[in-house]
Amino acid sequence: MTAQKSLPEIVISIRGVKKSFGDYEVLKGADLDLYERENLVVLGRSGTGKSVLIKIISGLLTQDSGTVNVLGKDVSKLGPKELLALRLNVGFSFQNSALYDSMTVRKNLEFPLVRNRKHLTKGEINYAVETVLDAVGLSQTIHQMPSELSGGQRKRIGIARTLILQPQIMLYDEPTAGLDPITCIEINSLINEVQERFHTSSIIITHDLTCAKETGDRIAMLLDGQFQKIGTFDEVFASDDERIKPFYDYNFIV
Amino acid sequence: MLLELYRVHQFVMKFFKEFLFPPYEGKEIIRQCYQVGYRSLLLISLTGFITGIVFTKQSRPSLAEFGATSWLPSLVGIALLRTLAPLLTALISAGKVGSSIGAELGSMKVTEQIDAMEVSATNPFKFLVISRVIATTVTIPILTFYTALVGLIGGFVNVMFNENTSFIAYIQSFLDSITFLDITASTIKSIVFGFTIGMVGCYQGYNSSRGTEGVGKAANSAVVIGMFLVFVEEIVATQITFFFKT
Amino acid sequence: MTQLSDNKRGITVGLFLLIGLAIFLIGIFTLGGQKKTFVKSFTLNVVFDDIQGLKVGNNVWFSGVKIGTIKKLHFYGTSQVQVFLSVEEEAQKYIHKNAKASISSDGLIGSKIVVIDGGSPKFPFIEDGDRLMVNNTLSTDDIMKTLQVNNKNLVDITSDFRILARNLVDGKGTAGALLADQQVANNFKAIVENLKNTTAAADKMAQELSAFSKKLNTEDGLANKLLTDTMVFAKLQSSVDELQKTAASAAKLTANLNQASAKLNQTDNTAGLLLNDQPTAEQVKSIMKNLESSSKKLDEDLEALQHNFLLKGFFKKKAKAQQKE
Repeated sequence: MTAQKSLPEIVISIRGVKKSFGDYEVLKGADLDLYERENLVVLGRSGTGKSVLIKIISGLLTQDSGTVNVLGKDVSKLGPKELLALRLNVGFSFQNSALYDSMTVRKNLEFPLVRNRKHLTKGEINYAVETVLDAVGLSQTIHQMPSELSGGQRKRIGIARTLILQPQIMLYDEPTAGLDPITCIEINSLINEVQERFHTSSIIITHDLTCAKETGDRIAMLLDGQFQKIGTFDEVFASDDERIKPFYDYNFIV
Repeated sequence: MLLELYRVHQFVMKFFKEFLFPPYEGKEIIRQCYQVGYRSLLLISLTGFITGIVFTKQSRPSLAEFGATSWLPSLVGIALLRTLAPLLTALISAGKVGSSIGAELGSMKVTEQIDAMEVSATNPFKFLVISRVIATTVTIPILTFYTALVGLIGGFVNVMFNENTSFIAYIQSFLDSITFLDITASTIKSIVFGFTIGMVGCYQGYNSSRGTEGVGKAANSAVVIGMFLVFVEEIVATQITFFFKT
Repeated sequence: MTQLSDNKRGITVGLFLLIGLAIFLIGIFTLGGQKKTFVKSFTLNVVFDDIQGLKVGNNVWFSGVKIGTIKKLHFYGTSQVQVFLSVEEEAQKYIHKNAKASISSDGLIGSKIVVIDGGSPKFPFIEDGDRLMVNNTLSTDDIMKTLQVNNKNLVDITSDFRILARNLVDGKGTAGALLADQQVANNFKAIVENLKNTTAAADKMAQELSAFSKKLNTEDGLANKLLTDTMVFAKLQSSVDELQKTAASAAKLTANLNQASAKLNQTDNTAGLLLNDQPTAEQVKSIMKNLESSSKKLDEDLEALQHNFLLKGFFKKKAKAQQKE
């Protein structure tokens, strides 16, 4: 883990974002910056709007107010075509991997390429598929169906599928949720590898402190719909905020 | 309720908007046609054949009372062509295809596969909904033709064993009693049925609530609502056909 | 490998759609062939007083062959109906200008059709837009109605004759006076005239019924098949036969009566001569008897006809109508 504290270029900038579902206000004016080539971990309890935040970044949801700037563009103001173009640069790794059940691993990986890089030849597509599969270390699964894979494998294939478009930004939604500790460690190192190999900037959403500690260059603590504390792992947990401390205590109790 | 209607309206509008503009998902449409059409062929054929036999058998006593069993071919033909074939095909498809579309899209929604498609810069509506609705709209009429043919053959088998009618005579008296209006009406009807079944399945799946329960609900309501709408459309279609006839 | 299965699937779907469409198209074209939709045709028209429920799309027959369909119907003149027939071109070289059209049905409970007869060869062939003449044949309803009226007349006449004959027989003493009475003689003549007409009508009726039933027997049509149910047909056939016999004997009777009345005519003023002529009196008596039995027979025939399954509906309707009145 390389702690690069201040990188000049801001790739994502979130200002005063509010979002409510019915009467329930999830985000209450969140501000956040993501710098180029950094891993930013967003920590928070379940239901605090972490996933909502990255869905707003990727344009799956639209904020009620505030601005979200991704690679210099205001996401909520983009037309369908521009949004598609932007999405090619923003990878999204889903909590449940979201592999297409009806397709083999190969088809899953090909899917974004075949549909968005139509000029590619068969050989180039195969090469890209093999490269990303190799990057996540699952070359042998290429002909399998998603249902035949373990949770950790699925997660990795999901990440591979996201990587195949070579995005500048990666958004990870709970990458370690529901996995055993050893697989968690593997995923954590995969996230770091991806960052080194593909020079991505990432937002990692988790409530797993090990994951946060392993992967995060910076930690952003999401409490009550706002980012209360942003800094390195040690800086954040040096705080004696009553709402942050239990987090730490619970995770490192054993 | 009104909100739901508004949503359905929007969904259908979105379908036509997206349907009119390329690109088209050719491969996916073929894949869905295969799933919806070819995979249902055996079931449909079997049902059609049995219906043909049973309907003929059941109609015989009432016609025999008037000594009019020679009218069986036209009776079976008219019944099959006008109502039985389209309705039967639609109901079976609503059960088989509607539920599978509802369940498939529902589970894709629940496991964020639809979101995943969207963020990998693919229009999931186009890829999933349009292709499926096109597939059902195209294949269900085709299946209806198969059902009608197989049902007629079923009716013939029964008539042949009981009245010794020749196939030519059977077909002749069938053709004598039907009109182009009958063919046109049931073709249009089955196209509408196909569209309805695809649309209902997709709507229920695409808008299913999160969680595994949502998937079951989506599949279930795809069948129930699909069948219900098919019956409603059948009534309306019959009224319209009668209007044209007179 | 996956590519291959993609292609395979494509082919399967293609075949599936192709065969399905083929079924559809073959259906359309067979039906089109059946309904002569795709055959070149020309239009004829004919004006009927009563089209008896003829509908657009009903068939046009020529010598028992379907040659076209009814295209259009509309009112014409005061209460007539103009019928446009779409006839296939092939039939043109068989139909002559003096051909006549009539409305018939392809079975007792079948749908109505227009029947064209060929006309005579000395007339030129018919052309597009020509108007056909109408051949007024009686409908089944008419046949039944006339038959019944006829029968009633016959019965009336017979009873008249009975009275007359009784007078003749009983009033031997006053027979001379009876026959000398010009009024009675005239009455007698009128009766004979009536009887003659009635018998002729009955004869015609019987013939028509016979032709009708023969047609039912020979022609190929859906409802006819129904009628080939041999039991029903045999019944109908026998009814007609009986009717014919009756008509024949009625005709004979009429002839006899004619003779008698001619004699009566001759001996208008010498009635005594007639009465004294024993054989003539005998003849009149036997005529009376014959007439009675034959009219009874006709009645029975009608009764039989009424019980015929096919015509049951007609008589029931009639009975109901009468009840209403």
